[in-house]
Amino acid sequence: MVNPVLLIAVPLGLAFAIPLFGFISQKLEKYIPPVAMLFNLIVSLSLIPKVLEQPIVVSIGGFPPPFCINLVAGPVGVLFSAIIALVGFLVSIYALDYIKEGATEKYHMLYLLLLTGATGVVLTGDIFNLFVFFEILCISSYALVAYLGNRAGIESAVKYLIQGAIGSSLVLIGVALLYGLFGTLNMADIARNIDSVSPISVFVPLVLLITGLGIEGAIFPLNAWLPDAHSSAPSSISAILSGIAIEVGIYAVARVIFTVFGASSIFLFLVLLGLLTLLVGEMSAFSQKNIKRLLAYSSIGQIGLIVFALGIATSYGVVGGLFQIISHSLSKALLFLAVGYMIYRTGSMDISTLDGMGKRMPFTSLAFTIGAFSLVGLPPFVGFPSKFLIVRAALAKEEVLFTVLIALVLLGTVIEGAYFFRVIQTLYFKGKRVSPNKREEAPIAALIPIGILMILIIVIGVYPRLVTDILNSAASELLNRIGYIKGVLG
Amino acid sequence: MSFLNHYIYYIGAFGLIFIGLYIVLVKHNLIKVIIGLSIMETGVNLFLISIGYIKGGTAPIFSTPEIEAARMVDPVPQALVLTAIVIGVAVLALALSLAIRLYQHYGTLNLRKIKEQRW
Amino acid sequence: MSLELLLIIAFGGAFLTYLLGKLSSGVRNFFAVFISCALAAIVAYLYGKPSEETFYLGFLGLPLLLRLNMLSWFFAIAIAVVGALSIIFSLSYMKGREKTDFYYLMMLLVNAGMLGIVLSGDLVSFYIFWEIMSWSAFLLISYNRGPALAAGMKYIIMSIVGSVAMLIGMLSLYANYGTLSISEVAPFVASASSGYILFILIVFSIAFGIKNAVLPFHTWLPDAHSEAPSPFSAVLSGILVRMGMYGFLLFFFVIVGSKLFLGLGRDNFHYILAWIGAINIVIPTFIAMLQNDSKRLLAWHGVGQGGYMVLGVALGTSLGVTGGTFHIVNHPSYIALLFLVVGAVEYRTKGIRDLNSLGGLIKRMPITFIGALVGACGLIGLPLTNGFVSKWLIYKSLILQGHPFLAFAALIGTWGTILSLYKFLHNMFLGQLPEKYRNVEKAPFNMQFPIIILSLIIILFGILPGIPLKVINSITTSFGLESLNINIWGIASETGALNTINIFAAILAVGLIVWLIFRAGPKAAPIAQDDNYAAGAYVPKEKYHYTVDFYNPLYRMISPYLRDFIDEFYMKLARGTQKLCGGIRHVYTGDVGHYVMYIVLFLASLIFVQIKWGIW
Repeated sequence: MVNPVLLIAVPLGLAFAIPLFGFISQKLEKYIPPVAMLFNLIVSLSLIPKVLEQPIVVSIGGFPPPFCINLVAGPVGVLFSAIIALVGFLVSIYALDYIKEGATEKYHMLYLLLLTGATGVVLTGDIFNLFVFFEILCISSYALVAYLGNRAGIESAVKYLIQGAIGSSLVLIGVALLYGLFGTLNMADIARNIDSVSPISVFVPLVLLITGLGIEGAIFPLNAWLPDAHSSAPSSISAILSGIAIEVGIYAVARVIFTVFGASSIFLFLVLLGLLTLLVGEMSAFSQKNIKRLLAYSSIGQIGLIVFALGIATSYGVVGGLFQIISHSLSKALLFLAVGYMIYRTGSMDISTLDGMGKRMPFTSLAFTIGAFSLVGLPPFVGFPSKFLIVRAALAKEEVLFTVLIALVLLGTVIEGAYFFRVIQTLYFKGKRVSPNKREEAPIAALIPIGILMILIIVIGVYPRLVTDILNSAASELLNRIGYIKGVLG
Repeated sequence: MSFLNHYIYYIGAFGLIFIGLYIVLVKHNLIKVIIGLSIMETGVNLFLISIGYIKGGTAPIFSTPEIEAARMVDPVPQALVLTAIVIGVAVLALALSLAIRLYQHYGTLNLRKIKEQRW
Repeated sequence: MSLELLLIIAFGGAFLTYLLGKLSSGVRNFFAVFISCALAAIVAYLYGKPSEETFYLGFLGLPLLLRLNMLSWFFAIAIAVVGALSIIFSLSYMKGREKTDFYYLMMLLVNAGMLGIVLSGDLVSFYIFWEIMSWSAFLLISYNRGPALAAGMKYIIMSIVGSVAMLIGMLSLYANYGTLSISEVAPFVASASSGYILFILIVFSIAFGIKNAVLPFHTWLPDAHSEAPSPFSAVLSGILVRMGMYGFLLFFFVIVGSKLFLGLGRDNFHYILAWIGAINIVIPTFIAMLQNDSKRLLAWHGVGQGGYMVLGVALGTSLGVTGGTFHIVNHPSYIALLFLVVGAVEYRTKGIRDLNSLGGLIKRMPITFIGALVGACGLIGLPLTNGFVSKWLIYKSLILQGHPFLAFAALIGTWGTILSLYKFLHNMFLGQLPEKYRNVEKAPFNMQFPIIILSLIIILFGILPGIPLKVINSITTSFGLESLNINIWGIASETGALNTINIFAAILAVGLIVWLIFRAGPKAAPIAQDDNYAAGAYVPKEKYHYTVDFYNPLYRMISPYLRDFIDEFYMKLARGTQKLCGGIRHVYTGDVGHYVMYIVLFLASLIFVQIKWGIW
């Protein structure tokens, strides 16, 4: 059996080795991230069948939990690490050709660190470790947002950093309070003892953790950094931030609420928060002129949908939410990657400059179209089954409130459809009929990941059973905290 | 008085946190905001330490067998603080270097004037 | 021949056509025609072979079913025939235009999607195919650029609203009954509470009403129809819109069942629906009269004719449903024909659709004119066309049921139809031929071919209505309605006797008499048109065109009342939403102090809520 520790150790080691490889050959360094992520992808996928039977708990240092730092490779963790590795792998292939200027070895190193941090967050079973990995993720993403070094990038990075630093302070206070209350940092151990103290004293750390992690998870009104950061970063980083970083934030919020605190009384609050996030995100995106900002706001909307689905907290709802995470990761990564080269070719992020792209970059435009269709939830793309599950979960509640709420959520979908279809029209039908001028298709290193993402979006959309097994057991891991505690502590 | 004696570290810690937060909220200058963040972090670190502190306790080192475990301060928060300080330093360094680049671009550090990224 | 194979051919053929287009356009054209004709042939072959099969198990544990019965066959054949004819028409219409590969792909995809809708045996696959149809139609509507973009947006937004409603209804059924197979869900629904049935029907009626352009939801249609490429307008108006009617039939009579449907809401639901249908006949046909864009005029008739179908179906008697259903299949024959006629004229006059500037094309494009004449007669519902039979059945059932006002509304609608189609025919084909169209050629053969075929269908079904009525009768009896006594010439039961042979004889006799009278009288002397108009004085031909402002007095009289208030309302709503959205995003002020404030406020409000109400 492969040890899940390798999922963190290998990319971490390789990340710090990148500057060393740089001494050998300047060309070598950019091939390190794809290799590391391919390794992670293979390991994660090979772990899935085992994890479906029983979560793998790895204790570091040889002590039994709760006295050690432990990794819990349960269905949720492995699912997320597989998504991270998959998207990370594809985006790193994209970056081979896309990242040419600047301190490239630093880019690749930070990129790997970001992914290591994300993988660590989803695999760790220790709440302080979660904080540490979160910081790795955040700090490398601050730096990567500023990578281009232009006005927008630096400004966004500074704003992101200020908000992120406050968030991590809040998380740290929450962790400290939990340690003060329970004398342990093991999440399963805290979860076991959570009922032994008065609810009101648990409330403060809960709120602090939700707020702090919610900043990275982009829950409204904590998400003001997101549109800036996602639109100013290099497109490959935008894809990672949108496709992975915020999902990891949502994972952390969900883990804290579902497993650590078992806070069933705030599920309705989560639903409302998700709805609010969704509506604000979609409405802000509606009249955007900047394509990357539009996609960033759409990410906020999608996060809202995910939070909404998780807040329903039935097994359908959680499966739907996790499915939506997969669909958003794939689709939004695809959209950012496609948009990356369109912006590169036109030199502007203004939507109106994208007209005629259907002719100039047919494959990339097709990719954008498929990604957009998928996000809107049209069959036969991956967004459809996830939306299907979420709507079903809300209606299965059989409460009038939830019927009204899901109607509002779907109203958000209508707005999303409106702006995405407008962009698609711009790509294909806007402007004068251009004489077929020469193709300016993206380079092959970009087309491969774009193509793979397109195929995945269609294949999972047509055959959702590929992922439903792991999703079902992941949902039951999140919902069944007793099982989690037993699995970790024995 | 005994109340103060007992909670002085917590009061100090949260005092620092709120001072830091206040600075971040109110001050316009980026450098001051970064200082605020730093103060806030210090507060959080102090809070962490004080959780594990026992009045009159000793270092948790089994140097001499007669020190019983109950009189030792909790070592875990101290280990946590070490990590947190390292993270804090990294954030601080990154923030300051970004501040330099920001000044190069905008010619000002007034955060109320740096509002190109909005809406 | 299994149904799966049919759909595989339909979808695979669409993509293969696209790929072949990269090789050569000739091969692609041949293949597109071949695929669409093959589909029509296969569907025709499947007549009377009901089947139900599971074609896919991979979708979230839901078996996706395909099934064929009389109802779906009836729609499938209409889809396949109209699709094939419009593809044939496209061959020259699309010649020399850009993105033709894409155009054929989308045409075939729409076609395949529609076939999927009518063949699906469960609501998930229904929804999936419905959405595939919707987005591919969106791409086709936007194809013409310019104003077509706005039309496409309008269409897709309303379409998404409709599919949202459908999704809610469908998943509510799923959440309650755990199955979505149409045959399994029907008995559950039949035993549900009437409030729930009403909810389901209203939700689905919104979805189908939007697609079918029933009155408060019709506003996308005139724009979309007039801006789409003409062969697609024919498909759009003829059959795609009528998928909504298929949905109505499916839900009212197959899933809910006729008895329950008629009794719903203390008998009022279907009555209200019938009134919506009646209003839907009157207003759009008169708005149509005021249009000067030939495609827009037809588009408004598309809305209006939908009213007859809703009216007939909503009555729920076997005569009414037969009439409504027959009208569904008649409608594509003549509206598609008229759109193709417009397309042919557009093709030859280089894109002119303005009724104010055309005229006199009868001598230049005679076959096209005959097509237009037959189509117009069918749309008006003159005897010996199929439109007459279906309208007659609807009138008859209205009178028999004792709804004089509804019958009157339907009649008024016919007057509006006559007036507006006279304008259509006259301004395009009759009257004075403008100088610049002196050298217009007749339409190419592959444009004339579908026109001729559709004209023949109209007349065939008009004289021998028994052929389709037989099929429709077996559909209505499967709904649990009483069977009508159909023979080849019409209906022979005492309540609804219809015999086209008598009508045929009567018209022949009258025509003969009129002809004889004309022969007996003195010969008319042909006088040039301008002489007649200006009493012999000279009129400069290029400055004067007498089709301009047709019906002007009438127009001035009624136009203030016939504004599309609903469309204006929607536009206002859209602008309001846009403003609201523009306002909302100002939350993100750009000032990081505000952002930190949001974080602190969020934290504070959580704690406040807890202290105040103690939720935790």
